[in-house]
Amino acid sequence: MRIEVLLFGPASQAAGCDRIGVECAVAGGRAGPTAASVLEAIAAQHPELEFAIGSARLAVNHAFAPRETVVAPTDEVALVALVGGG
Amino acid sequence: MSRVRIAIVDGPVRRGALGEPCEDADGRDGVGSRIRFEGIVRGLENGERLVAIDYEIYEPMASRMLEAIAEDEAQRDGVRSIAVLHSRGRVGVGQVSFACEVRSAHRAEGLAALGSFIDRMKQDVPIWKRLVFSDLR
Repeated sequence: MRIEVLLFGPASQAAGCDRIGVECAVAGGRAGPTAASVLEAIAAQHPELEFAIGSARLAVNHAFAPRETVVAPTDEVALVALVGGG
Repeated sequence: MSRVRIAIVDGPVRRGALGEPCEDADGRDGVGSRIRFEGIVRGLENGERLVAIDYEIYEPMASRMLEAIAEDEAQRDGVRSIAVLHSRGRVGVGQVSFACEVRSAHRAEGLAALGSFIDRMKQDVPIWKRLVFSDLR
């Protein structure tokens, strides 16, 4: 299943765009991939983002998603890594 | 006065944006400490000269998280209110990009709430800085 992921900050600069699409594996019976499998798909399909994946969390519909959260193609998904406000 | 106030502002946080302290109300409210912190864009980073920082903010997630963290810190005993302003977009060297006011009964809980709020913001809130160097990199 294809999931669109928003990028920000250093990840967006490394990818040269503000969103990517990733093909994610969907385990049997689920309506979509888990947040963990979306992160794995990003790492596998976008090696330019490897530097950010270690500290990255996935936000789904504007909240951090636990690894087991099931993601739907209609969800707003964002890669949140290397933040630093203030 | 609401216990928590959050705002994202375009460009630098202007002087007075937190509002004038309400001295009469503070004393009668049991507020004995009013701490105001301003984060300022430094002109030097690891020996390199900057001209500005560009702040990128993922909304509405950032505002929601700032509010949730401030609400949580405002639960500390003695803390009466927390107000937060954060910049979006370009902020020049010497300008304020972040301002926070904590009103509390005593200074200890106010300082603790301020420090904890900033630590949590820097760790969790989806805000990114891009340093703008003087050679226009």
